[in-house]
Amino acid sequence: MSDFTTDFILYSIYLFFLIFTIGIIFDKIRGKKWAESLEDREEGFTRFIQGWKQRFYDLKKSWKIFRKSILAIIGLTLIVTVSTISIFADDIAVEHPYRNLQDTEDLWWIDNEPRREAPFSEACDWHEQGIDLFGIKTKDYSRYVPAVSDPVVDENGSLTPMPLEIIEIEFIEDDLGYDLNNSLIIVYNETTFFVTDEALNITSSRIWVTYEFQNNDMHHWWLPDGYDVCIMGTTNTGQDLFSKILYGSRISLKIGITVAFLTVALGTIIGSISGYYGGVIDEVIMRITDVFFAVPGLILAMAFVAALQNTTSLTIAMSTAAFLLLFFNILSTRNVISELITGEGTDRNLMFKIKNKLEPQSDLENKVFNFKNSILETALFLLRFRGVLLVGLTLIFLGSFWPELWSNNTDVKLVKSLTLVAIFTLYVVITILDKTLNEGVPSKLISKRISESFDFGNPYRFLALRTILIFISVVLLIFVTKSSDSDFILIKDFDRLWKIQAALILTGWPGYARLIRGQVLYIREMTFVEAAKSVGAPDGRIMFRHILPSAWAPLLVAFTLDVGGTILSASGLSFIGLGAEPGTAEWGILVSDGRRFFPNSWWLVTFPGLAILLTTLGFNLLGDGLRDIVDPKNKR
Amino acid sequence: MKLQEFIVRRLILLIPVIMGVSIFTFWIAQIIPADPAAALCGEKCGIVGSNGLTAYESNVIRLGLDKPVWQQYVIYVTNLLEGDWGESVTFHRPVIEKLRDAAPITLEMSFLSLAMGFPMGITLGIFSAVWQDKLFDQVSRFVAIAFVSLPIFWLAMMFQYILGTQVGICDPITQALPLIPDTEGGCFPIYGRHDPTYTFPDTGTGFHLIDSWIVDEPTKFNPQTNRYEVSMSHWDMFMDTFKHLFLPCFTLAVASTGGLLRYMRASLLEVMNEDYVRTARAKGISETRVILVHAVRNALVPIVTILGFSIGGAIGGAVLTETIFAFPGMGKTAVDAIVYLDFSMIMGVTLVTAIIFLLSNLLVDISYAIVDPRVRLE
Repeated sequence: MSDFTTDFILYSIYLFFLIFTIGIIFDKIRGKKWAESLEDREEGFTRFIQGWKQRFYDLKKSWKIFRKSILAIIGLTLIVTVSTISIFADDIAVEHPYRNLQDTEDLWWIDNEPRREAPFSEACDWHEQGIDLFGIKTKDYSRYVPAVSDPVVDENGSLTPMPLEIIEIEFIEDDLGYDLNNSLIIVYNETTFFVTDEALNITSSRIWVTYEFQNNDMHHWWLPDGYDVCIMGTTNTGQDLFSKILYGSRISLKIGITVAFLTVALGTIIGSISGYYGGVIDEVIMRITDVFFAVPGLILAMAFVAALQNTTSLTIAMSTAAFLLLFFNILSTRNVISELITGEGTDRNLMFKIKNKLEPQSDLENKVFNFKNSILETALFLLRFRGVLLVGLTLIFLGSFWPELWSNNTDVKLVKSLTLVAIFTLYVVITILDKTLNEGVPSKLISKRISESFDFGNPYRFLALRTILIFISVVLLIFVTKSSDSDFILIKDFDRLWKIQAALILTGWPGYARLIRGQVLYIREMTFVEAAKSVGAPDGRIMFRHILPSAWAPLLVAFTLDVGGTILSASGLSFIGLGAEPGTAEWGILVSDGRRFFPNSWWLVTFPGLAILLTTLGFNLLGDGLRDIVDPKNKR
Repeated sequence: MKLQEFIVRRLILLIPVIMGVSIFTFWIAQIIPADPAAALCGEKCGIVGSNGLTAYESNVIRLGLDKPVWQQYVIYVTNLLEGDWGESVTFHRPVIEKLRDAAPITLEMSFLSLAMGFPMGITLGIFSAVWQDKLFDQVSRFVAIAFVSLPIFWLAMMFQYILGTQVGICDPITQALPLIPDTEGGCFPIYGRHDPTYTFPDTGTGFHLIDSWIVDEPTKFNPQTNRYEVSMSHWDMFMDTFKHLFLPCFTLAVASTGGLLRYMRASLLEVMNEDYVRTARAKGISETRVILVHAVRNALVPIVTILGFSIGGAIGGAVLTETIFAFPGMGKTAVDAIVYLDFSMIMGVTLVTAIIFLLSNLLVDISYAIVDPRVRLE
């Protein structure tokens, strides 16, 4: 199992449990009643099933419209292909993109020029190199020099040099390029040079050696034997361009989807607040979007990248996001929170029992210390804040060993994550016991309640509420994994391109905010919203359960188109040099790296660019096709 | 509402937006980790001046960094209004001077690219609306989406490769205009604003296409005598400048064609359903005349508003094309400023692009209000 997969699974486990826990806390804060009647639940379940049936029917209808358009099908095919390639990149590629050739510089003189092989050249695994005799002499004074390759990734994932099979030694030349006597160097056996005294005495001369690169993986398994070609040529450092492009699809897709998703989430939240509340809030938000629209997108993104330059932490971005989300949540739940703080309306049973046992303080003048009362009062206090206590204890417990969790050792990770699972299970069990014993909620209802905390029934609820939860869990994760020098380790290792992503999110949200605001303004006036208002539904519920589900259609189209746009802008920013460091397997960087050798080695620029073009084209075609489905003219 | 009133209202509405942009640029400068006071004095920060303060301390006082943030903002805005936009550390000259040199380059490129892109987009849009749902429409739809999906930097380099360096593609043109250097048979020069064998005087407008007609006596450099003495015509100068501008502008034009095509198609389809088009057809006018005279003219009106956004897109795209074609315009300036964290330059570029974008949008809106008086009622 590759590192990528284990990391992915572990992160998913952490996120899953965090989301679950926070979901329960949230529902508690939102004051969900656990003891609703069974009939209500049954009816809810039937509605849920019906809803899915309807959705399935809609999907079938949409597919009928969708498949008429050849272009949309082409787009879908492109996206599926690129996604498949990004998932199976390990198996399709012939070498790992980060095989570092420069490590051996002291022994081998890296000769850049001949390494840029043209596409379909069969000489990819043949490297012609010069050996610096001076380098050999300083390396060790032995006259037998092992001939080893540049380090290649072996089974354990580490870089090790492989023995070379030397095919021929062409000539020996000195500094000025004149041939020296050939007999100075003899091939001792397959893997060792014998360096004569004479050759050792010559300072700074160079031996040219042709050798076969013994990386058996260089052969594509899906090509017939004998076709040991590099399909798209090699880069200036001798790496297989095809493999790099394959791995680059991972980065590009991830950036595209993450950024588009977060942009949509941010824009939706801000836009719906703006449209729903109107008034001063609306005015302020719209003026802010005006400012964002006044600066051309790429320059704005560049300015944001500059603002984030030299910042190794996500403090600003994350604090802003957390603040916005907190603001939004407080706004929609302020009544419930005040209830929770005053202790009215929640957890009545046990508290009343205790309160009843408190001895009446009839004579206030006689201030005798009442032992029984003080114990009961403490119990009451603890009971009221037991949720907070539980979470706090868990966090402290986690925080004590958390930093080791992120070490690279897979075994440690597994043990730690198992511990984590145990803690959260314990927490869940305690919560359930608490509910059963104190409030007398039947266990059947609890299991239903738990299954409903993963409410996929309403896609928008899933999108909106769970997005917020994921966001908050990520923020929590980051705050807990803070290292001693106050860098956010997780994000730094997780993604080196986060600056570009943060900049693109900050640049992109106003578009969505305007789109959603328009939709909300339109839907807000409809009858069903008025009905919900007259029943007395809270603002948050109206926004998320009534208004936004009706506005998802243009959002989906905009999201799909934005994935393509984001991939374009991100690669543009990388091309300028604001993204990852040179040599990274990212399409924009590959084009930028290849630019130095451009007109001669055309493939270094052409193929990464084509990859960008095709991926973006796929998403844009799909978005265009989706627009046809969403178009009310086609709904019949 | 009268036209003057409309213009005044729009101008007043611009002020808060420009203020917002200035707050934004100020905020960026606050966030950037670079220390402006240290950046200005460099290695000489420790030297004690005549007033008993080190260079660093006097810089802090001069820039007002010891004051509270809102006072710093007030100082910043006052300085902006007085024309003191700060000193660029990267370019070793005042920001406003550098921007004055750079802005015409980007604007020239943007305008020319719009002049190339608009006819392409509109013509294709008209055809795909006329042949709606035919093969041409389908193909043009694909082409439009493909053009939107093109990475500009990649397209620019492909044009460099095909039109700039491929020998023999347009030999006749090159032979007719032997001015172009280092193309060796390609059609267009691949970098620079003009041939290095002559120079433009600094006193011109900055728009080289215009300057080439204003220059007094255009002369070329003679390497034998080491002097500017070979005379050349204004036309040669203009053509050379145009040829240097062609590739970057054509790249931007292609990138903007896709969106325009779709907008024009949608707009024209909407107009074709109007009553007056039906009336015109009923009169028995030929179909060509109906489309060109009655429909297209009206369909073009809403397209005007897209012009403003296209200018923004072109300036954004210029960041990439200028980097590739080595034009010292605002995009290249912005890239350099950001790579070296030259905070005053970043602030300046952001503000100037915003102002250019807002003003061009204002002009577009005003012209729209002139063409279509209904807009003024809103």
